[in-house]
Amino acid sequence: MNKLERKDVIKLAGGAVLGTAVGTVFSGAPFLGLQWLVEWTQDQYVPGSGDEKFIASICQSCSNKCNLSIRMIGNRAVKVETSNSACPVGANALQLLYHPERIRQPLKKVGGKGNSKFKPVSWDEAIKDISAKAEKLKSENKGAAIAAINGQNAGLSGQLLARLLKTLGSASCFVEPGLATLSAAAVKATQDIDGSLHYDFENSDYILSFGARLVEGWGEPSRMNKVFAGWKARKAKYVQVDTICTRSASIADQWVPVKAGSEAALALGIAYYLMKMGRGSNAANFGELAKIINADFTPEKVSQLTGLKPEAIEQIAKDLAGAGNAVAVAGRGGWGVSSSTAEFVAVQAVNSLIGSLGRRGGVQVAVNGGLGEPAVDAAAAESIKKAKKQSGLDDYIKNGVQPELLFVNEADPVFKSVYGAPLAEKMEKTAMVVAFLPLINDTAQYADYIFPTLSWLEIPAAKGKDAAAVKTESKHAADAILQIAKKIKGSDTAFAWNSFKDIIAAAGKTEIRGAGNLTIPADVMKAFAAELPKKLAPAKDFPLAMIPFEAALLGDGDGLAFPYVLKGLDDTTLTGRKMWVLMNPETAKKHGASEGSRVDLESKRGEVGSVKVHLTKTIAPDVVAVPLGFGHKAYTSYAKGKGVNPKLIMSNDIDSVSGAADWWYTSVKLS
Amino acid sequence: MAQEKKKETNMKRRWGMAIDLDKCTGCGQCQVACSQENNMPLFEDDSEILKRVVFLDVMKVTNDRDKDAQYPNVKTAFIPKMCQQCGGNDPDHPKPPCVSVCPVVATDVGDDGVVSQVWSRCIGCRYCQASCPYEARQFNWWKPEHEGSFKESLNPEVSVASRGTIVKCTFCSHIWKRERDKMLAKGVKDINAVLYTPSCVAGCPTGAMVFGDLNDPASEVSKLSKDKRAFRLVHTVDNWDEAKKAHLKKNYPNPKVYYLSSQEWLRKMAAF
Repeated sequence: MNKLERKDVIKLAGGAVLGTAVGTVFSGAPFLGLQWLVEWTQDQYVPGSGDEKFIASICQSCSNKCNLSIRMIGNRAVKVETSNSACPVGANALQLLYHPERIRQPLKKVGGKGNSKFKPVSWDEAIKDISAKAEKLKSENKGAAIAAINGQNAGLSGQLLARLLKTLGSASCFVEPGLATLSAAAVKATQDIDGSLHYDFENSDYILSFGARLVEGWGEPSRMNKVFAGWKARKAKYVQVDTICTRSASIADQWVPVKAGSEAALALGIAYYLMKMGRGSNAANFGELAKIINADFTPEKVSQLTGLKPEAIEQIAKDLAGAGNAVAVAGRGGWGVSSSTAEFVAVQAVNSLIGSLGRRGGVQVAVNGGLGEPAVDAAAAESIKKAKKQSGLDDYIKNGVQPELLFVNEADPVFKSVYGAPLAEKMEKTAMVVAFLPLINDTAQYADYIFPTLSWLEIPAAKGKDAAAVKTESKHAADAILQIAKKIKGSDTAFAWNSFKDIIAAAGKTEIRGAGNLTIPADVMKAFAAELPKKLAPAKDFPLAMIPFEAALLGDGDGLAFPYVLKGLDDTTLTGRKMWVLMNPETAKKHGASEGSRVDLESKRGEVGSVKVHLTKTIAPDVVAVPLGFGHKAYTSYAKGKGVNPKLIMSNDIDSVSGAADWWYTSVKLS
Repeated sequence: MAQEKKKETNMKRRWGMAIDLDKCTGCGQCQVACSQENNMPLFEDDSEILKRVVFLDVMKVTNDRDKDAQYPNVKTAFIPKMCQQCGGNDPDHPKPPCVSVCPVVATDVGDDGVVSQVWSRCIGCRYCQASCPYEARQFNWWKPEHEGSFKESLNPEVSVASRGTIVKCTFCSHIWKRERDKMLAKGVKDINAVLYTPSCVAGCPTGAMVFGDLNDPASEVSKLSKDKRAFRLVHTVDNWDEAKKAHLKKNYPNPKVYYLSSQEWLRKMAAF
């Protein structure tokens, strides 16, 4: 073997280097490296491609059921096309469908309640545990200790829960307080029908809204948006009564600025003038109401309560009487509605005086078909008969029994109810809390089991309509409840359906009826007439009136989990996790606040803070306008810890008929 | 300087928008529809206005700062504001303020009058942002993020922007291209037969937003642009007489977004 010369080593090394270089170039590595460099410097993400198709679906976020067309790229849903038929909720649906913090499998509580720690559990195991608990309670005759809370838009799954509870011996199935529950309580109190008010807005030509913020999420937003466009097109007159220059007040044809909390007084003041004009009502007990109006709601008194001149009130009465198809609307607020039964009755009295009950463009009654009554065994019937009755959720939280098994269905009462804190305490003591939700909200933190439910796009709908493909273990709440019910001996016979699709087919249609025979609940109105002036009189300790409003898309808090909603908040609603409240500059001066200053709000219930003050003349003097929907303790990292929840200090007097607290008007001070 | 030759084009359309503020309830649906269509970045704290990137901003305005404003004689309104698609006032050589300053042709005016913006061409100098009279251009100070499964809903027709680039509304011109391809597939080769609707307009639930061809005198948008309630943002030049305007040749933005309002205070405020 030849000796290796230095020259040869250099040649070999050179050859290796050259070979590596050539090899590297031909391997494509430098080009890949360049691509990495580009990606690294540009941070670019490229969405996956695929075939485009559109699937027809129905939005299930409210009872209006808008048609949707969902644009799919491959198996990804990339856009909800609304074609002028839906509302922001439908457009926002993808944000829930693909929310990174969505629950993807059933969860079981780990450790103490309220700590947000859960571990995955199988559907079978969870259902077995829950059905065993329900069976045990029933066999021990403790059926009345089972309760359920449905969200306002729970729909059929809510009816299933009520049915399940009945077979177990409990009537404690409640709906989160809001427009639906208030309207149902008013219909029950005035007409003794299980239904809700249906305003025929499509045919009205004069709409007088007593604080109902009709274009801000009130009722069914998609319907209201279309209705509003219709009013503009046919030049119907929209008159908004409100204390602050809200979106509804500013877009209405006329804004009637009233003192905070005096909407019902204005309604009765208008009724006074209508009676003076010779208008009569054939409502039973109307004479009693007329007596109350003539004694306590004379123009002078109403003028004092509302801050309007008597002539202004008379003018509204004249406009109302002169219009063809006029309607008066009750239910203050947008997404979050709070009012009293007396206020609904007062507004219905105005409707009866202008002949709007049951008339085209007036107000009717909607009766939900439902699923019919289940067969209930003797023990369950006895248990329901003996149990303490509560008229609504807030009443139940305050005065009801301690539940041992509680279902929460697409609701967030811990956040939304003014009795949220006591409810959380109750839930801590409840042996088992079961929640049906797509995202862990403030209420779900206290749950022992959480079942993942569907986004509005995944819900199987009527014939010929598809849903976006479900990729998780999620199920519709109705399917989950059905599975639980079928496992409970004695209850299973009342649930003959196999799936939610069967239930949709079985459910009766909603029927719209005339609203002819109104009876005025005289005692309710008497109590109201005695209370109102006291409530609205300026208090020495708490000189300011706190009135809520809602930011677009945010509503009563449900929107805050979605980043595109956060994009829409302006710089006097939320900045850097701090919430803003609005005040008139004069009021602020009187109470030592200035633009941007930080204050706490205090009512007799307690204190929340800190919030920033924005001065604007769109707010009435002596009023603090406070946004709803902030101050979540959970509900994803997008909502958590932003702003404060004013419900913590809002009025908690419970309306005896609806069983809901009327939190609209709260006396507060700055501290 | 040699006069540039006028570009030859078959395009007869000139896309424009009209927004009736008397019908706008400020519901925010246009903003959500736009964000979804155009892959807007998602930040945990998108309520931070300085950090926020949106093409369409629903501005809340009020006359409460006016000298004689007093509760309850105040008003509020909402102005959905996006790129106003300026054309400049020389029809042969449309040069909006942003286009004339871009050193890398990342932004240009198309045959249809739409001011384009190609994110991947942008070098981030922000001259265009400074020159825009409407603050319609946004700079990605932070990396545009789409956390976890939010990525699933991204639209493949709009590229996700990089950090350090300017982005803005393009009247959803990718939807026009989508419609054009559909027409081509049907064998229609005339580009003037292609009509489309941007995402915000399709989403507007009250019909306040109208989109169409300003060159077509029969289109709704061109009728609305001549309505007596119509005005354009920060464009008082519209009220000047022709002789005075002549001095301003090539010197005003001439946007293609028209607003309509019956409220005098709003028209005054928009005039600036």
